[in-house]
Formats: sequence, C-alpha cells, structure tokens
Amino acid sequence: MKILVLVVVVLMGSAVQAQTVSETLIRNATVLTVTRGTLTNTDVLIRNGKIAAVGKNLNASANARVIDATGKFVMPGIIDCHSHSMLDATNEGTLAVTSMVRTQDVLDPTDGNLYRALAGGVTTLNLLHGSANPIGGLNSVVKLKYGRPASEFLFPGAMPGIKFALGENVKRSSTPNQPGVTRRYPNTRMGVEEVIRDAFTRARDYKRAWDEYRAASAKDKNVIPPRRDLQLEPLVEILEGRRYVHAHCYIVSEILMLINLADEFGFKIKTFQHVLEGYKVAKEIAAHGAGASIFADSWGYKIEAYDAIPYAAAIMTRAGVVVSMNSDSDERARRLNIEAAKAMHWGDLTEEQALKTITLNPAIQLGIQERVGSIEVGKDADVAIWNGHPFSVYSRVETTFIDGTVFFDRQQDLARRSERAKERATLEQADPNKPPARGQSPATPRRRPPTHEGGEIEQEEERP
Amino acid sequence: MKILLTICLICVPVLAQQIGNPTSQQGVTPPRGVFAIRNARIVTVSGADIENGTVVIRDGKIEAVGTNVNVPAGAQSIDGRGLSVYPGMIDAGTNMGLVEVPQGANGTVDTAEVGDLNPNAKAITAVNPHSAHIAVTRVEGITNTLTAPTGGLISGQAALINLIGTAPKEMAVVPQFALVINYPRIGGGGGGFGGFQQPVNLSDTLANNERQLEQIRKMLRDAEAYGRALDAYAKDKTLPRPDRNVVLEPLVPYVRGQQPVIFRADREAEIRGALKFAEEMKLKPIILGGNDAWKVATLLKEKNVPVILTGLFSLPPREDDAYDALYENPSRLQQAGVRFCISTGDAGAEVRNLPQYAGMAAAFGLSKADALKAVTLYPAQILNVSDRLGAIEAGKMANLVVTDGDLLEIRTRIRYLFIDGRPVVLSSRHTELNDAFKNRK
Amino acid sequence: MPKVHPRRIVALFCTVALAAVCAVRETHAQRTAVETYAITNARIVTVSGPIIDRGTVVIRNGLIAAAGANVSPPPDARVIDGSGLTVYPGLIDSYTNLAVPEPSPGPSPAGGGGGGFFLAQQQRPATGGPNSTQPAGLQPEVMVEDVIRPSGTEIESSRSIGITTALTAPRSGVWMGQSALINLAGDTPQQMIVRSPVAMHVSFTPLRGGYPGSLMGVFSALRQMMLDAQRYRESMQIYERNPRGLRRPEVDRSLAALVPVVAGQMPVVMLANTEREISRALDLAAEFKLRLIIAGGRESDRVADRLKQQNVPVLLSLNLPRRTTAAMPEADPETMRVLRSRVEAQQTAGKLAKAGVRFAFQSGSLANISDLMLNASRVIENGLSSADAVRAFTIWPAEILGVSNQLGSIEAGKIANLTVTRGDLFDRNRTVAHVFIDGRPVDLRPPTDRQGDRPGGRPSLSGPWSLNVKLGPEEKTAALTLQQEGERVTGSIAGSLGAGEISNASMTADEVRFTVSLQIEGQTKEATFTGTLSGNEIRGSVTVVGAAPGTFTATRVRPN
Repeated sequence: MKILVLVVVVLMGSAVQAQTVSETLIRNATVLTVTRGTLTNTDVLIRNGKIAAVGKNLNASANARVIDATGKFVMPGIIDCHSHSMLDATNEGTLAVTSMVRTQDVLDPTDGNLYRALAGGVTTLNLLHGSANPIGGLNSVVKLKYGRPASEFLFPGAMPGIKFALGENVKRSSTPNQPGVTRRYPNTRMGVEEVIRDAFTRARDYKRAWDEYRAASAKDKNVIPPRRDLQLEPLVEILEGRRYVHAHCYIVSEILMLINLADEFGFKIKTFQHVLEGYKVAKEIAAHGAGASIFADSWGYKIEAYDAIPYAAAIMTRAGVVVSMNSDSDERARRLNIEAAKAMHWGDLTEEQALKTITLNPAIQLGIQERVGSIEVGKDADVAIWNGHPFSVYSRVETTFIDGTVFFDRQQDLARRSERAKERATLEQADPNKPPARGQSPATPRRRPPTHEGGEIEQEEERP
Repeated sequence: MKILLTICLICVPVLAQQIGNPTSQQGVTPPRGVFAIRNARIVTVSGADIENGTVVIRDGKIEAVGTNVNVPAGAQSIDGRGLSVYPGMIDAGTNMGLVEVPQGANGTVDTAEVGDLNPNAKAITAVNPHSAHIAVTRVEGITNTLTAPTGGLISGQAALINLIGTAPKEMAVVPQFALVINYPRIGGGGGGFGGFQQPVNLSDTLANNERQLEQIRKMLRDAEAYGRALDAYAKDKTLPRPDRNVVLEPLVPYVRGQQPVIFRADREAEIRGALKFAEEMKLKPIILGGNDAWKVATLLKEKNVPVILTGLFSLPPREDDAYDALYENPSRLQQAGVRFCISTGDAGAEVRNLPQYAGMAAAFGLSKADALKAVTLYPAQILNVSDRLGAIEAGKMANLVVTDGDLLEIRTRIRYLFIDGRPVVLSSRHTELNDAFKNRK
Repeated sequence: MPKVHPRRIVALFCTVALAAVCAVRETHAQRTAVETYAITNARIVTVSGPIIDRGTVVIRNGLIAAAGANVSPPPDARVIDGSGLTVYPGLIDSYTNLAVPEPSPGPSPAGGGGGGFFLAQQQRPATGGPNSTQPAGLQPEVMVEDVIRPSGTEIESSRSIGITTALTAPRSGVWMGQSALINLAGDTPQQMIVRSPVAMHVSFTPLRGGYPGSLMGVFSALRQMMLDAQRYRESMQIYERNPRGLRRPEVDRSLAALVPVVAGQMPVVMLANTEREISRALDLAAEFKLRLIIAGGRESDRVADRLKQQNVPVLLSLNLPRRTTAAMPEADPETMRVLRSRVEAQQTAGKLAKAGVRFAFQSGSLANISDLMLNASRVIENGLSSADAVRAFTIWPAEILGVSNQLGSIEAGKIANLTVTRGDLFDRNRTVAHVFIDGRPVDLRPPTDRQGDRPGGRPSLSGPWSLNVKLGPEEKTAALTLQQEGERVTGSIAGSLGAGEISNASMTADEVRFTVSLQIEGQTKEATFTGTLSGNEIRGSVTVVGAAPGTFTATRVRPN
C-alpha cells in the first residue's frame, strides 16, 4: 500500500495546529529502539497515541497517514531532565526552604522556546525550580504539547519530585554584601547541610504530630488538628518514598554530604543534577542508587565546575550509575542529540549507552519509563523522525510526534512562513496596532547574553 | 639523534598517561622535527582531497603534499592508513587564554580593562599559555584562535595565536591583528544582578549610542593627526617633536586602513551602523557576531566586509524569528556571496566544540565542504593568514590534525596533532583527571 | 381650580418664593431644598424592560419614584425637559481604586539585589492593618471602607462621563483586602457607601523584599492562608463548643477575615488577564470552592467554557491595549503575540456574550477615563450588541456585585442614579447632560485630561525643582529643571553643584532616574540619582563615581 497521503493542515495562530490523525505509519526507516537495538528498513505503526507495532512491511488501515521514511532515522522523543522552560517564575529565593512552592502553579504553555525544543526532537521536560535554595520547590514533568493549555502538558503518572540545591548558587557566592542587608543563611556548605537537616527534623516531628492527632481524634472529637504545613508535607512525602529528590550539586564534599544525610533520614536521592565531580565518587553514587543528570562537557564557568571533565558520563555509567544528559538551557535543549553523542567521543560508551542518556535513562530518573524512553509496542508514541543519524552533526529533525500527534514538522514550518508574513502585514494595519502620530519611544529590545556562560543561568522572572 | 627523537616521541605520550601533575603538558613546547604522514586521505580544503597521500613536515612547515612525494631520510613516519589529515581549525571569535574561571575567580579574568577607550590593551600581553583551556581545546583539533579583549568601546587589540607555546610570544602568529570595537548596542542590558542604569527606551539608547560613537570618532581623529605629526617630524626634525602617546600610537595603522578593525555587532541596525562608521572613518571593517547578517547580506557583499559568525548556537533574537534563523545564517551568506567564517564566540571552555557549530550550518543548507572551509580556509582568509594557515599546501605552517574520520563529526577521534610543525601530545587537564579517576574502586 | 383661602395662597407663594430663592446652585450633591425631580419627554432606557421612546422619570427622596410613558411630573418636582435626551440607569464601573488614597512612598530598596527575582514585584502596601499576624500585602482584613475619602479629581472625571457608582478596592497586596461599592457623590464616606464589604480581592503580583517574592510563592502563600483559615474556623468551633482541656487558639484577624471567603460566602475577585492567569485562578477557586470573580479578563473568551461551568463572572476591562510607541526603523517589529492580542481584546466581550458568560465592564486603570466610552464603542463594533453593552454597564454589574435590588435599572424603588445623555450612550459625539446620584444632580466638570501620556496617570515631572543633595556631612542645593514627554525625561541642573545636562533619564511608574555630572570639591564626578515621586517631591539615593553614596530630595518649586 504505497499511497502517500499528505494531510494539509489549516493553521491558525502561532502554534502548529496539531493534527489529530488516529493512525500513522512510518515506513522503511532505521529505527533506534534503544532497548532492542537498531532495526533497519523497519516500519513503526502508531495508533491512538501509542506505538502499535514495530516491524517490516506492516499493514495500516486505509485512512492512515503514511510517511515514507526511507533513508531516515526514528528515535524516541528526547527527555530533558533539567529545564526551566515555560515557567513564569523560576526561583522563590526569599527563603532557604521553599518546598511549598510549585512549578505547576506557574506554567506558561505559550513559551516559544518549547517549539524550538520540539524542532530538536525533545518531547518531555522536567521543569525544575531554580538553584537559589537548599530546598527548593516542586517540579513538573511535562510533554511539550505546544498549542494546548497547560493542563494537557502534565505527564500522567509521573512521580512527583522536588528540587534541592547545594553549593555556590545557594550560598549566593557571587552576590556581594550589601550595606545594611543581612545575608541570607546559609553562607557556607556547612550551613547548607544544617538547613536541610533542620527541615527534615521538623518534617519528622510534623508527621508524628499528625499521626498522634489521627489516633487521638478517633477516640475524642474535642481535639484541634495540627496546622497543615505545605512546606513540610512534601518533605514527609520524601521520607515516605513518595517524592523524588533532584539535587543540584557540583563537588565531592556536598555530594557525599547529601548521601550521608539521606541515609541518616532513611530516604534516597533520585538524581544528582549537574554533579560535575560525580565521576570522582561514582561508586558512592552508584551504591546509594542515585542517578546523575549532567552536562556533556560544560566546565570551568565557576570554581565548583573547574574539575568537570567530559568523560564523566562514561565513568559513571561504567560504575553503574544511571546517567542522563540535560540542557538546563532553552538553547542547549535544541541539540541534546549532539550532547548525547559526546558520550561516545569521550570515554567510548556504545551507541546504545549514549542514546539512553537522552531517552531511557531520563525516563527512569523521572519514573516514566513504563510509558516513554524507547520504541516498544505499547509505549506512548513520542518519537521523532530525523533526516540522518541523530548523532551526526549534519542531521536535523523532520517531524516530532507526541502521543501520536505531530507537534513539529519542518515542511509545515517552511510552508507556513509566507502565511505568517501575510498575517503580520494584515495585523499591522489593524486600528489598535497602528503607531500613533506622536508616540512614545519604543523600548530598547532585550539583548540575550551569549549562551556560553554554561550551566545554570539564573533566569530573570519575566512578565509578558 | 634520530633514535633519541623516536624514543622521545614514544615516551612522551606514555609519560603523559601516568597519573601525575595534572598540568604536566600545559605550556610545554615540544621541539620541531621532520615527520611524514603516509598513506592517508589528505583533505587539503583548498583543492581536491588526495586519497592515499603523504604530507611531509619539516622545520615547522608543510614541505610537501601529494601522492608521490619525496620523504626525507630520517623523517618520523606516521602510518596514515584509514586516517585523514586536515588543516587545524581556526576559531576567530574567542577570548582564549584571557580568562580561566569567569565566575568567582576574578584574579583569572583579564578580558576587559577599565574605561571605554583602550586601544593599547593588547590581548597578546595577557594570554596565559598555561591555561587549562588551551590544551583542552587543541586536543580536539582547533590549532588557532583569534583572542580578543572585551569591554568598553575600544576594547583593545586582538591576537592570532597558535595553541602551543610556553610564552605568549611563542604562541603569537599575528600579535596585533585587529583593533576591536564594540559597536554601541541597540539591545538593552543582558539582565543579571545589580541595577546599573540602562536607558529604557530606544530614543535614549540611540542618543546614547551616538554620543559613544562620537567618543570613538574623536579618538580616531586624534590618532590620525598624531600619526601625521609623527611622520612630519620624521621627515623634518626642525618641527617640534611630538610627545609620544602610548594610547594613540597603536591606533595609527588602523586609522590608515592598513590593518583591520573588528566591530562587534549583531543587530541589523548595529551592522549597518558599523559599516557606515567604518566607511566614514576609512577603516577596514570585519563584523564579529553577525546574528542579523543575513538581513544585511547585500550591503555586506557590496562593501566586501567579512563576518565572523558567533551565533550558531544562540537562540534566535526575536520571538517570531524562524526556529532555524541562526542555523541558516551561513548558508544564506554563502548564497549571497558574503565572506564569512564560523566561530563559537566563546571565552575558552566551549571553543573545542567548534566542529559542531560548523556541522549545524551544514545541517541547515551549507554544503559539508563549505562548512569545513568555514572553520579552516575562510577564517584564515579573513585573518589575512591564508598564506600560512587554513589549508594543506606546501609552504604553509604545519598545523595539522590527523583523524579517523570526518573532522566535523563528534564520533571522530583525533589521532595526531601538529602545531607549528611540532607534535602535540594529546593530553589535557581533562584526560589526566579521567585517567586519575576512571578506575577508582 | 378649587377655592383656596387667601392666606394659604400667600403662604404657598412665600414657600415657593423662598424655595426659589434658596434653590441652590447645582454644585456637587449639596442638599437642595427641592428633593423631587422629573425628567420629562425623554427617551428612557430602563434596561429592565423595553425602551420607552418618550416618557418621564420621577425622582423623590433619593429613589426612583416612577418611570414610564404615562407618568406625569408631580407638582413639587423640578422639571427637566428631556427632549432629545436619553435617560440610562447610572453607569457602574465594576473595578476601580476611586476614593482610595495613594500610598506615601516607602524607601526604595538598594540597588538591584541578587537572585534574579527583582522584576515585576510590588512595593508592600504602606498601610497595613493594626495588630496583624501577617506582613503588609497579606492582610485580607484591610477594608477599603476604612480609608476612602470623598471627592477628588478622579471621582469628578468618572462622574462627568456618566459613571455614578464604582466598585473600589484596595490598591496593592497579594491579599489586597475588601472592596466597597460606592456612589460617586457624598460628603462623607458613609454617604458614599452603597455596600461594604463586597468582595475579597487578590492580585498575583509578588511582594518586594520578602516572601512571597515570586509568582510561585504567591500561590503557595494564598493556599497556606486559606488552609489556615479553614483550620481557624474549625478550631474556633471546637473551642467554642467546649474549651475545657484545650489550649485556646489565638485570635487572628487575618484568618478571621478569610473565613467567609473559604466558606464560599464572600466572593473573591482575582486579577487575571491572560488565558493561563485565568486558568490558574479557576484552578485555585475550584481547589478551595471559592466564589470567584475574574477582574481584567482580556483573554477570558478562550476559557469561556470553564467560566460558564464554574459560574464565574468577569469584570471585563475596557482598558483595551493599543500601540503607544512611535514607529522607528531601529526598533524590533512588534511580536505577533502582541499584535494579535490587541485585535482580539476588542472581540472578547462579544464572544463572552455569545458563550453566555456573565460579565460587566470596568475601566481597568485607564489613564484617560474618557476613553472608556470610546473603547466601549470599539467593543460594539467588534461583536457585542449595543443593548448588551448597556447591560454590561448597568444591570449585569449590579447582579454580579449583589445590588440588583438597588441599582442597575430604572424601576420604581431603586436608588435614583441616572445618566442622562444627549445622543446614544456609545455614540462618539454624545455628551452627558445630567448625572443624578442618590437622587441629586451632580456638578459635571470636563474630565481632567491628565497631562501628557504618562504611565499610570501620574503627575508630570516637567517644571523647576529645588534639589537638595546630602553627601556625607555636606548638604548642597541646586536648581533642577525637568521636561517630561511620556517616559522621556530631559533636563539640566545649575547652582552650587555645577551646571549641565542630565542624561539617561527616565520615569517608570513612580520611579525617577537620571545621571548628571556634578562639581564636588573642585572635581567633576558623575552621579546617578534614583528616587520615587510622590506628589511634589522626589526622594531617593544618589551614587557618585569615586565617592560615597548619598541621598537627595527634590521639591517642586511651584506645586501643581
């Protein structure tokens, strides 16, 4: 059935009007399954948002959309384990413990950088609170359904998580003392530990108080309940193993500090983020069972990053740590395929091991590996079609699917450009958009700082 | 002697692998010698590839290239079967060697001098040959960088360096290549912490920019007059002797158009402004940055002004820009006939990723051959050193990279490296830390 | 004519003459001896029924006594000939800060601070409640009825375009406090207040200088306080039932003020304009079963389904976005997002009406209140029916704000607030002939066009100022002259600190900045002034290159 059906999408507005086609057949591609090797001349059948079949010469129903992917590559959608995209606020930096704040309250689904990430093959993000506080806010795991309302982005069944941060950003090392202003505690790595220890101690007491109240009120209605404390409840969840901890850290002393503290309180760190010296203590990280979500090769931008080496992924992987490559940047998120390839260049990981760093491994780190992270029958149809091997610098994404729906297609993007130009011309003629005869001066356009500052760029909170 | 050299050649890499002082190789200048890379694929860049060829290196230069070359007696032989030889890559838009750790270690930051007008700040003076960034970068096949100061209006003078040497003089290929001017920016503050005053509206910004241009203009005119006074005195000693002026003196060759002036400019209005200013002041401009260069391609071609593109890995500047606007920049310039090269634009740590920037340009319209040129021949031409660098031809400096595959691809490995005809040990701070920790039990 | 005793005639004549003599000029809403009015031969838009082409409205004792085609003016009424005039119910502006005094400026925070969370924050309200457990900005117990002041140019401006009643709310805070519905006439707050409190008000703008300093923190702070209020109610009930054996819960006026909110009795007005802001407000309201009202609502049509389903009305701002900047070649083109948003904002009301979502108009801090009707006519051109537009200014806000038995239509027994126009209400050439509030005509002055094009309608900086600079132990005075056009500020100084032009000057909101070279101890030093404008004074700090920082005060030489 070699009928090539092209669905022409009528587009309105800035987003690609996602095509809701219930069945798509991708034919004759090289399929990087991640878990079952690389399959050549293979078809992938997508039905009702799931991967329905993977194999040679598959049949599809008559109204399926068929894509001829001869010479092309299909891989799972990339999962970025450290992002601050689509957030109207990144940090609640006023207090050292802000576990009550939630990224989910500030999602901005209209962030244009989401589209740019889709164009780089990314389908899922872990949206984290910034690194201003030892204990930060709650995360959100999202699928990049650009064009839909924020509620549709939330990844169903993803394990809830929280952000911790250690080191220079938390100590505000780069911020000079201001006269008359007391520096926020903690100012040293010693204090960072104490803040976390104190918070978990209070959380334990809080849990006990509620357990006691429940027991007491079963017998006697004349008891006043303890105060519900939104700051402590997520910490109780951590103690009970119901919330993942993603901890930003760099150097050996703080990595081991947090492992010891977690062991002391009886919980596990799910991932260390950045953890650029993690290669020095790979065995301790592996023994604890934590994953590592790192930069492929960023280094040297601050003192705590000076010992970072690009071999870290290989060293930690061989020690048994689940390693993912992340972006922590709207810019780098567009080319995580290149970042993963670096794991082959530095340290000789195999192609499959390197592929896992942007697919299955981050899925495991976020608790979503049952649904995404590889191309297997039954998993969500979050896949991308590339015009070459994703690890080649010469490759780019042709189409990105999430739950079987196209959210990026290069040909559609190109075709839309002249329409957008026309739409702009029309809009600029509308009455409210005409410049007044005597108007104010426009604002100076914002200039982006160069992207090579590496690592954690503290993001300003911006209002539209 | 030959045997000793051979032993040294074998021992040095071995020694480097041992766990020792992590900075053992930084700043060490290996001696020149005579080498022959045989039976390799030679990607000359300036001409056709030579399958199964030989390159002979002697006294720092490429002595011969071809299928049938005469290998001198006593030359160290490198078996190039299955390997490729490329010219070393050149990044024309860096601050390499001027900064070690930008955040939190101000003692290691030497990029920007105080004040707005610093033509006499010479990058070559402050380049640190022992910076960890140097070895980390060259082992990935980048053999040369243009290192420029930053800050102010006239930042200083940029230096073209080899990434090898114990002293800055040993590194210098062209110690004072270009004057560097930050064309007054239209884009407002890059954010960050601490509120220094920024004009909020565009009229004020433009008025401010005009004032800044006037400052530059005045200094350039002063320098031009100073130069004439010096010349006049040289011819006629009866005239009053002009006092030497260390600030104006370095400007003289630039205001006479004898050497190029690099303008940092990204937006269309900035690029146009820079071109206009250069024409007015009779300077030889090069644009550094060039994010909007594709919008100004016609003018750039007309004025024959080259562009060092640094924004390949930047987000498009405007919300409504096409997602690949910056990826496609090189391809559009190529089509319009504008001279350009590709740079990381980075201070140091990221420069080793230059091949990926070129690769991205090739993913979005530039041919693979042109992408390779964009990091070899084109920067050499723009930096006026194409007689020495940027291609594999007899007579040029022996800056060569030997790989097991396509130089721009990530999975390719560098096998051998020569800078100035010297064999460079492929170790760096990173390889040494790797060796120290990879087997920790 | 019946036979009347002569003495009675004389008495009647004297009374009438006396009344005529005492008939007071129509200034403000002073008590006149005559409390009865009749507007005759007018077109009457009752809103509650069909339009009456020619009829009479009778006002007595502050209330509408009668309205209809067959109503005759009573003998004691002052008659106003309504030929060519149209009588509407007094217009209601459903969200303002009218009569709420502006705060005196607090100290501006030093520098930009670190941490990257300094943008888009509000100064904490200066007036907090006494003895509160919460910091200013998180005090729901603040009530606007405690602070409103009658009269003022803003009130007069609103009245003169036909607004008789306004919801007025506190100006700032996260929990901003409780609003009141006021008539725009009266000599005392008590005379103005129609209903108080009306609703609790929430804004999602983080506070400066403390928690919550980010939008995330705002949601968490709101959530935590509502949980605390629920517990407060429960604790108080348990304790009241039987205090024996229990530690007494502490009295907390902030939480007490929230109890009616979490009980669903007092509505909550939340400021939200974009689709996501409105969605977040809806989510929060659903979480705590709040009676939500959205204020702003620019993109509310995109979530019309949810608004309908959760029964949430919208106080729709008529501060329609328009381009204010001149064209400049060096400027970036405006974003598609903004261009679309401006066009679509005009269509929101029509779409809400079609979707069956309840809404009312508000002025939304329009700098120029007379644009209110102009914008209403734009909205009508873009899909809203004229009749619905009238309703959105009258009966719909009355219903939403709980006063539909008192205001919003011309029916006997309702408060006599009337707007009488020459020409249709939304006609661009119409004029306001009369405004009645509480049954009394009010003085109509033309709306004061606030000078220039200033953000937020602040007074202009233009003019001479006396600048007093304190650097270390020394104080120096200089003459400062400023010219302001929009956000653009220029000027110069002269005097003991040297003479020169200022540069890099700007004014945003009430913050003023400029740079100038000063002569200090025989040297030229560049100084940057940053201060806050309040009335006729600018106060702030000055940083000097090469010297210690100081403070300054600038006072207008001839106050406005």
